[in-house]
Amino acid sequence: MGNMHRMILQKLNIAVMARVAIALFLATVLAQHVAVAAEKKVLKIAFRAAETGFDPQRIEDRYSVGICENFFDSLLTYDWLALPVKLVPQIVDKVPEGEEGGTRFTFHLKPGIFFADDPAFNGKRRELVAKDMEYAIKRFRDPVNRSPYSWLFEDKIVGFDEFVDAAKKNDKYDYDKPIEGIQVLDKYTISFKLRAPDYNFLYFFAMPIVVPVAREVIETYAADTMAHPVGTGPYILKEWVRRSKIVLERNPGYRGHVLNTQYANPDDPWDNDAVKALTGKRLPLIDRIEISPIEEEQPRFLAFMNREHDYIEETPFAFISQLLPLGKLAPAMLKRQVRVQRTEEPEITWDAFNMDDPIVGGYKPENVAFRRALILAHDRSQEVNIIRRGQASATMSPIPPGVVGYDPNFKAEDQEYNLPRAKALLDMFGYVDKDGDGWRDMPDGRPIILQFKYRANEQEGRQIAELWVKCMSAIGIRMTTVAVQFADLLKDRKVGKFQMSNLAWIADYPDGQNFLQLLYGPNTNISNDARFKLPEYDRLYSAALKLPDGPERSKLYREMNRLIVAYAPWRLGVNRTFSQFINPWVLGYKKHPILYTAFKYLDIDVPAQQASLEQ
Amino acid sequence: MGAYVLRRLWQMIPTLAGVMLLIFVLFNWVGGDPALVLAGKITNKDQIENIRKQLGVDQPAYVQLGYFAFEVATGFTCTWKSYTDKAEPPKLDAKTPGSAADSATKAKANSGCQAVRSWATNEEVPKILTTRITPTLTIMIPVLILETLLGVILAIGVAYARGTLTDRMIMMICTVAMSVSFLVYIIVAQYIFGFQLGWFPVQGWSDSFWKNITYYAPLPIALAVFVGLAPALRLYRSFFLDEINNEYVRTARAKGVPEKTVMMKHVLRNAMIPILTNIGIALPGIFVGSFLLETFFSIPGLGREILVAVNRSDFPVIKAATVYLAMVTMIINLLVDVLYKAVDPRVTFK
Amino acid sequence: MSAAFMNTPSTAPAAPLHQPSPGLWMLAWRRLKHDKVGMVSLAVVIIFLLMMVGSYTGLIAKNWSKEAGVSYANPSFMAGAENLEAVRTKADPNAIKIEPVDLSDIDPLAPRYKEWAERTAKIKTTETPRAETLPFGGDKWGRDVLQKAIKGAETSIFVGLFAALFAVFIGTTLGAISGYMGGKIGDLLEWFYNVFTSIPYILLILAFAAVFASSPQLAAYKGVPMVVAILAFTGWTGIYRLIRSEYIKHASREYVKAAQAIGASNSRRMFVHILPNVSHVCLVQLSQHVVQFIKAEVILSYLGLGVPVDSVSWGTMLAEAQSELVIGKWWQLAAAGISMAILVTAFSMLTDSLRDALDPKIK
Repeated sequence: MGNMHRMILQKLNIAVMARVAIALFLATVLAQHVAVAAEKKVLKIAFRAAETGFDPQRIEDRYSVGICENFFDSLLTYDWLALPVKLVPQIVDKVPEGEEGGTRFTFHLKPGIFFADDPAFNGKRRELVAKDMEYAIKRFRDPVNRSPYSWLFEDKIVGFDEFVDAAKKNDKYDYDKPIEGIQVLDKYTISFKLRAPDYNFLYFFAMPIVVPVAREVIETYAADTMAHPVGTGPYILKEWVRRSKIVLERNPGYRGHVLNTQYANPDDPWDNDAVKALTGKRLPLIDRIEISPIEEEQPRFLAFMNREHDYIEETPFAFISQLLPLGKLAPAMLKRQVRVQRTEEPEITWDAFNMDDPIVGGYKPENVAFRRALILAHDRSQEVNIIRRGQASATMSPIPPGVVGYDPNFKAEDQEYNLPRAKALLDMFGYVDKDGDGWRDMPDGRPIILQFKYRANEQEGRQIAELWVKCMSAIGIRMTTVAVQFADLLKDRKVGKFQMSNLAWIADYPDGQNFLQLLYGPNTNISNDARFKLPEYDRLYSAALKLPDGPERSKLYREMNRLIVAYAPWRLGVNRTFSQFINPWVLGYKKHPILYTAFKYLDIDVPAQQASLEQ
Repeated sequence: MGAYVLRRLWQMIPTLAGVMLLIFVLFNWVGGDPALVLAGKITNKDQIENIRKQLGVDQPAYVQLGYFAFEVATGFTCTWKSYTDKAEPPKLDAKTPGSAADSATKAKANSGCQAVRSWATNEEVPKILTTRITPTLTIMIPVLILETLLGVILAIGVAYARGTLTDRMIMMICTVAMSVSFLVYIIVAQYIFGFQLGWFPVQGWSDSFWKNITYYAPLPIALAVFVGLAPALRLYRSFFLDEINNEYVRTARAKGVPEKTVMMKHVLRNAMIPILTNIGIALPGIFVGSFLLETFFSIPGLGREILVAVNRSDFPVIKAATVYLAMVTMIINLLVDVLYKAVDPRVTFK
Repeated sequence: MSAAFMNTPSTAPAAPLHQPSPGLWMLAWRRLKHDKVGMVSLAVVIIFLLMMVGSYTGLIAKNWSKEAGVSYANPSFMAGAENLEAVRTKADPNAIKIEPVDLSDIDPLAPRYKEWAERTAKIKTTETPRAETLPFGGDKWGRDVLQKAIKGAETSIFVGLFAALFAVFIGTTLGAISGYMGGKIGDLLEWFYNVFTSIPYILLILAFAAVFASSPQLAAYKGVPMVVAILAFTGWTGIYRLIRSEYIKHASREYVKAAQAIGASNSRRMFVHILPNVSHVCLVQLSQHVVQFIKAEVILSYLGLGVPVDSVSWGTMLAEAQSELVIGKWWQLAAAGISMAILVTAFSMLTDSLRDALDPKIK
């Protein structure tokens, strides 16, 4: 009988609990409606991937770097409105000119800029000095930091490589030891001497990771610098639940900045909106920003649709026809006065052939013919229209739009789908079915079974693989695919343990050189995953490095592009176009081609935001 | 009994060793090279070697296993002599006055030992486990309770009405409900109840337990219970039917004991053994949570954390989660076995 | 008490010991024949199995991969509905024409340009027009989702069935040994079980997938056999646990002691006397694991560890369809979801009926 009593009690408990739960539920809902904090401007958004942390010299992913834009001030930055992008000073007096033939760059910090308050400063205000920049640059190559961007300063600054070698030998990375090419001339002046001319060097100082940091902060929080970003920027990190919640709040000690409208394009409605919303105001205006990384597409999309988030960036392609059928805003969105901004990202995707592979590699005419035939047989329009849902355009050269060196008139015909040409080329060079199994073989009779490696747990990668298999079977070539975990894929690519694989690259700085280096022979095992080694290409690359931007360099870039098309180490993929949907109460929104976040240049119409939430 | 429990506790040591060995073999030998994930887009050999060295993955396997055992036992990792070269504790010079602000952190850093940290986010692994477990339990404890209660109650009812149309219908509904993938349920329910009807938020989580349990958690909980109930009901029904057809039940009936008493006293009591077994199997799962639910509803729980860690080859997180969850599982299994005895005195412990 | 047990054929120690099973199964079959639901379910399962054989031998759904329709072609019964996805794929007439770059001075193929052009001219390609509608709609490539679902059934049933059989075999064997023998062997098996179950299922699956995928010895078995192996090796534990507890329960029962008294060996008691009494648990487990593994395959596909891209399963269809619901293309989700539901339901019902028929204590 005891059991029965217990059961009845449990039943009663459930009933009671249910009532309590309902009451609590109602109470919470009511409380939400009553407690409308009218005064605070709070922005809620999602990121499409998780961050790693906020130690600028230790991070690489664009989400973490994007958030760092708000904690730290880089010496230079991009003008918020200027297009094409324009370097402007941020915490220095002016953008330096390259001296000594493009090998010396000197920055003068503005005096009176202070770090955000932090216990590491012992209650004193800490002014930004040139030494902080020197310290930060040194951090890039400190092995402890294992900076993903240490390559920026390799073989670059006079004396730095020797400094690192000495540190390795002495087993001590001595920050107090000077480096010949990094001179702190006075409290606010720092000068860099380069080993060779490099006009892209200035772009480094607009990256949100090449930013001054305070040594005492880094040393105080040595065990976990990722969680203690202390900079001179407009926001501070208020709360951080790694991989699920990032809360930024206004830095109370921030000096403030204003929107420069000098380069605004009067024909661009977004520029006009930004000018209208922000002119004459002391920025930033948002008090608190709550960011949730949501990796799954459906909830990220629905959270915006439900007004749980203020805007959605990089809207999942799968849902685009819900919001933007045939490129026009859907009626429901028009009714909500949602606006859309579409931006072409400074990035490319491609499929690499392993040039050392006995089947797809090689530089002889028959090897080149084979790769070119595979590319011609690949129906890229399906990649654009079906896989990317029309939210992309076919890439014509390795340099994407929005990047210096991009040539809109460069069209590579042999990257376009042309089945007869593909078949003719294979027949011509003897890639025909020799053993009668219905599949083509190598000219010497070896069977061909291609293998395409892609990243597991990515629908897009799978679809790209699927498209390859389809297109290859249309010309009688057998292909298998292998899904591998991310770490394995990286390893396989790095050491050339793959035949074909898909990749992508986002600009670190807006110059074509950042992309062309991906095929530079000496970068094999470093970033040249295709293992492409063509002396002529390498010669052109080295020559271009020594030139400032101009027609002469553009000509070299064009020659390199032509070689890539002719020798086909890559099948060029697409340039993706992302759509940002913005709720009407978000004012001044604009997506910058290089800078990732817009928080510094945003305003919120709080009454409108509250009114919408109550709906 | 006491001796039995002691013996079982003693036996946990080899089991834990087995888990550690298996995990170590799987992830250290077979898993991808974490150095490359951490290294970045442009890397050279030196840099990768440096990272491998810092992570200790360049050491011989038995040395790594030793580190691993130490880390499991203490939750700390130390800068071992063989690779202290680059990880020297920071020195504060006079010009930049350090502070007493975070003396604890500093002390740890100086001693050369610190908590095991995630390779990807540098968060302390014990902290990851302790903070992520709360949301997971917020979802899973209600799920387990509701599922068991509803399952047992419904199963008794169905078993009581065995062979009738109601029984057949309920079983049919269960079977149909079970035949649909959890992924489909989540996608459809989030779309319909979260978005179309707007009864629940689409996703989210807060710091307040009450807000979570009353606002964010109901839909995930309802989904998990709905999906878990059908198989539980089927299984429990089969347990009850087993008992109902036993001799002692017939004897009891023959003696004229009322059917309800038979069900409650004899059947329920005996069916508790397999039911407990089943709960015993399900119980450790509540600590892992459902990674599908957690990813789709943005719940910062362990399941989601583990999935992200796996995708990023964040081995310290995976290994720690595995080993500590293994301990939890073993303790629960012991408790279940002890409960066997409490429920069924015929079971003897050798 | 033992007299009462004598009446139950499956456990009767006095029954003709050399031939207990055929009688049991014949009786079961007779009972099953009277069970209408069971017979209907059996028919459905057989139809699905025939379909699986048919699609395997290429008799049906041979052209599942043919792109017969436009992207996301509407189902025939929704012929007029707007299909934005297909409209987009039509070529943009306003595209700017740019002169292609001339490569002739650097191209290794330049000497044979003329021959290339001539050969190209000789190759004719005919493009078959794509249908606007398909019987039950098309997927993103324009393939018929009905045929795709049939082809997917082949893979999914194969995976579910064989993985479950494999898992039940492992689980039952180990569970019986552990539950009955106990002692050292039991401890060893418990150790093994504990090691496996202590590791979160998702990690176990990922770990096994990683081990299997990177093992050169197993390279030849990539794809479906590997999925079967992953599921079976990670999914036997639940069965083991239940069978073990059943054996613990039965081992102390009188009929087993009676069997021991008449001198039956351990293995005989385990597999001849006790096993028939727990076979219904095995069957329920088999049914549940077929269901569970067909569903687990969905999760594997969601994680990108499912079947390879040149084949299709219900799992890959659902993984693909997860984003299609929001844009109103529900048919792939429905085709895979419904066919899966029908088979799984029928399979479970059949197992229930079998269980009723096999367990002579009922009725």
